[in-house]
Amino acid sequence: MSSDKKKMTRGELVLQIIIFSLGFFYASVYYIAAPGIIDLQAVSEQLLAYLTAVLTAAFAIGVINILRVHTINIKRRRATWKYSVLLIICLCTMAIFSVIASPFALDPDAAVIPASVIAFATPIWEFLYYKILVNVNSSIFSLLAFFIASAAYRAFKARTLESTLLLAAGLLVMLGQAPITGLLWPGFSAIREWILAFPNTAGQRGILIGIALGVLVFSVRRLFRYPWGG
Amino acid sequence: MLELVEGHIAQLALLLIVLAAIYELSRIARKRQMKTREIPGLERIDGWIKQAGELGRSVFFTPGTGGITTPDTLAGLALLGYVAKHCVEDDARLIVANSDPQVQQVTEDMVKSAYAKAGKEKEYSSDTVRYISARQFAYAAGVMGILRREKPAVNFFVGDFQAEALQIAEAGRTEAIAQFGGTSNTDQLAFFMTTCDQTLIGEELYTAQGYLSSDPEATSNLVGPDAGKTLAILLILAGALLLTFGNSILVALMGL
Repeated sequence: MSSDKKKMTRGELVLQIIIFSLGFFYASVYYIAAPGIIDLQAVSEQLLAYLTAVLTAAFAIGVINILRVHTINIKRRRATWKYSVLLIICLCTMAIFSVIASPFALDPDAAVIPASVIAFATPIWEFLYYKILVNVNSSIFSLLAFFIASAAYRAFKARTLESTLLLAAGLLVMLGQAPITGLLWPGFSAIREWILAFPNTAGQRGILIGIALGVLVFSVRRLFRYPWGG
Repeated sequence: MLELVEGHIAQLALLLIVLAAIYELSRIARKRQMKTREIPGLERIDGWIKQAGELGRSVFFTPGTGGITTPDTLAGLALLGYVAKHCVEDDARLIVANSDPQVQQVTEDMVKSAYAKAGKEKEYSSDTVRYISARQFAYAAGVMGILRREKPAVNFFVGDFQAEALQIAEAGRTEAIAQFGGTSNTDQLAFFMTTCDQTLIGEELYTAQGYLSSDPEATSNLVGPDAGKTLAILLILAGALLLTFGNSILVALMGL
């Protein structure tokens, strides 16, 4: 463990002043208004729009990073270099067809790009997006079902008093949730509702209050001193 | 003329009271040199990184899918500064994966700075900090791939996580990687608890940097939120008692 206290450089001080001013302004706008003088809410929304513009530029740098990392992989002939080639081909192909034929195309009115090119690219983009990307995305998402099962199996092993309580609570909630158990004994549903409404909510609220206070102190510290460069 | 926004007056008053209480308790804690309770997860970070360096294995860090304005992401970045510094000191190769392009820029700068401060700029490789994808499950697939291929000794995933958290954690678990998780998302915390060796729960996430620092000011800031918690407990108790006896004055005050 080491001390993180150090003197700020002049550049860091200037950035810190900007951070403090903007942070203080955003916090103030929530509580204070200046009707007839300036619409503070509109100013804060405008500043957020600038943030979105910065984000767009950052995306380009993100793509450069992907290309750089995978070019290194290919140059050094690492074990997975073939996948890097595939990734770069897919990235470039998708980017080209998205620029020409996606809903966010650069020239949807065919002012510069010939209409025949757009007509040719549209079904290919639709195939790449709807038939490949969306399905791959859904497949990765559906992996969660198996991961939840294995995590639940691990959590429900009755090794300690806490895990036994968790097992009992989990079983009762599941029994209350399944429609068939209602036919066997209607009390399962009431027990489930009680567990979710009282012990579960109480625990979650305790954590949430702690989080809110943690965020408050953390934000105040950040406003006054950001640990530049860690 | 400046005026207070209707409906937010009580919140502002409460915020000022809580901040004053936190400040006062922090001041007392600094004066009396109070110590905080032990957070076992944070105690093990140094040992894990040292072990990774000795074994010649890498250390993996990801701040999740949140943007740069998300408090969890900022808390994750605060911890990254510490992890990067120790990875450089212990010669453990660090790999950082990002989902948000703005966070990518910040993490890259932080890790580069850690190498520069230790005079090891030449050891920094341009594939240390990687941008994966802004798409949630593309990012999850990318991180799972890194864990499988690189087999790091430790997986730090501290920040803003949604459904992808369990996928990443299970991938790490399958590879028998030591895992350190932290998020304030209560829906994901349960999964973190079952799959990670150490988990930062709730406010522990925001206190990590102060805890790991030997700076007495930072340590005293950890004690401050307890004043806020005491105030919250008192308000909850008072509200519950007043409402039980049919008095809704506190509810009306909060609505101001």
